[in-house]
Amino acid sequence: MTTRRLQQLHPPESTLVGARYQADIEIAATSQGRWEGQVQLGDGRTTPFLALRDGQQVHVWLAGESYVFAPPIPIARAHRSAQPASDDVVSPVPGVVMTVLVSAGDAVEAAQDLVIIESMKTEHLVKSPRDGTVEQVLVQEGQQVERGVLLVVLVGVGEER
Amino acid sequence: MSVFSKVLVANRGEIAVRVLQTLQAMGIATAAVYADPDANSPHAGLADEAFSLGGSTAEETYLDRRKIIELALRCGAEAVHPGYGFLAENPAFSRECAEAGLVFIGPSPETIELLGDKIRSKEAAVIAGVPVVPSSPMWTPGESLLDGLSSQIGFPLLVKAAAGGGGRGMRIVERVQDLETALESANREAASAFGDGRVFLERYIPAARHVEFQVLADSSGNTIHLLERECSIQRRYQKVIEETPSPVLNDDLRTRMAASAVAMAKSAGYTNAGTVEFLVDAQTGEYYFLEMNARIQVEHPITEETLRLDMVEWQTRIAAGKLISLSQEDIRPSGHAVECRIYAEDPYSNFAPATGRLLAWRPPSGMGIRLDSGVAEGQEISAYYDSMLAKLVAWGPDRQSAIGRMQRALQSFPVLGVTTNIPFLIRAIAHPDFRSGGYDTGFIARHPELTASPESNHLNGAAVEIAERIWRSAGPIGGSNMSGQSSAGPQATQGPWRGLSKSTFP
Repeated sequence: MTTRRLQQLHPPESTLVGARYQADIEIAATSQGRWEGQVQLGDGRTTPFLALRDGQQVHVWLAGESYVFAPPIPIARAHRSAQPASDDVVSPVPGVVMTVLVSAGDAVEAAQDLVIIESMKTEHLVKSPRDGTVEQVLVQEGQQVERGVLLVVLVGVGEER
Repeated sequence: MSVFSKVLVANRGEIAVRVLQTLQAMGIATAAVYADPDANSPHAGLADEAFSLGGSTAEETYLDRRKIIELALRCGAEAVHPGYGFLAENPAFSRECAEAGLVFIGPSPETIELLGDKIRSKEAAVIAGVPVVPSSPMWTPGESLLDGLSSQIGFPLLVKAAAGGGGRGMRIVERVQDLETALESANREAASAFGDGRVFLERYIPAARHVEFQVLADSSGNTIHLLERECSIQRRYQKVIEETPSPVLNDDLRTRMAASAVAMAKSAGYTNAGTVEFLVDAQTGEYYFLEMNARIQVEHPITEETLRLDMVEWQTRIAAGKLISLSQEDIRPSGHAVECRIYAEDPYSNFAPATGRLLAWRPPSGMGIRLDSGVAEGQEISAYYDSMLAKLVAWGPDRQSAIGRMQRALQSFPVLGVTTNIPFLIRAIAHPDFRSGGYDTGFIARHPELTASPESNHLNGAAVEIAERIWRSAGPIGGSNMSGQSSAGPQATQGPWRGLSKSTFP
């Protein structure tokens, strides 16, 4: 089989993809950058799909689920990926930083509130993933952030004096 | 029969579209207002006239009372419909409309004030003989706390906004040491959402059902109820799926709650369309008054579908001083209706709000299906406003058929570019606890499988393969590029995919 060039950004992948599936894909029509057709599953059922490419992303709607694919993110930009290191605290939502509750050097407990983000008129409390010490705060109040942007870095486990 | 010659709709999104459609059907000229990010949104395009509010945040646009009243006067509107949220339950706005000679389509400022104050509204409920949940007096920022307040209530408890609704400014608090942060956070959120940051504490009743009754009241004091809506499927105290009739009410409980709803509306001196919300303890059959919402509710369409009436038309007629021509005996429901709210949010990431451009938006249609939508394909969904994109409503002659139609419609609703909760809705509607009707407000928390990442399967594998094929097919895609290929069968196997020929993709 061909090598996968794309990474699934959404929904989060739970298990390995790339096993041999029994399915036919029939492209009924393409127009204006959209692909439509039917997927026939191994059990004979068919289900429609709709797909399109948007810049560096491919979007696929299939059987009620909407998938997003893109080429893997280079290491240098990996801090914006959905898989942060455990010492990184990222924004769970796109929005505006309302309040920064900690500073570098602060000792924090697991589940302590670190930053408050407002998005779509709702406040999101961003909590510490564990007990530790704040190494760095990377955002300011009033700043717009995207989902996945790094907010706070904790001192790594074992690096504390 | 004439009511108003022109009405300005002071809202955005699906409710602005919904209200504009009825006004136009009544032959009333319409005006819309819009913030900069909404300049190309459907509500602005639908109205006969649309006026820029200049700005992006809610505070400088849809919450700016002075701007909206000036625009209404300038365009010659006789009345303002506030929709829900924003200024719908702001007594100052209602009063300022009246002072400017504009009819506010809703109850009087005094009634909005009374019901907006959750403490006073509870007093009105008690006077009307309606049972209530124990709660504290109002908390104000800086007020030294709370031991007294919380000890009367006990933990866990709820922090609620006095002006609240839709879960904004609401927090569940398990421990006394978390109370102050929760109060301050709820206070800020309520101030931002409603322009009123006051909050209070209320006893938390777990495993409750949330059932509300729609009422209609005219200026002569004639008050009827339009039966109930079951709203127990919630996340972050915000409704996601509603249905009517409620699977949990028997005739006796329905009759008693309806009588309480009408008594509450009369006690509050209510006019126009309103909703009395109750918590129902499914074990005991006890019910408690929560609050009365002085506005049209998001979920009003399910009532419209089972009663075959237009709530916005009644709101408009009542505001114009017309009397309700229906009697309580005329309220005879037919069949069952379910509503699913389509939110721009990620069900696999704790329902985090999602933004982006709606690259594809293809609503389903068919027997018994209605979509109230405020968005269109190509529109940018920003983080400035509420994340609800649309409401999908299914009606059927009975509960099973309504749910079946909803299931089919949800599975036939392609949305690309903005993550939505549709996959969650599909699972929730199929869940045995939903199908049986035996659910409560803990439904989502109790069933983590509803929000777990989907397992890799045939479908996931097929999606990957489709995406890879598209990625490899570089180059511009022409509008006339229709291939019309069918699969070539097992003999054409290439890789894992039977029947994929290279000519399938251009």
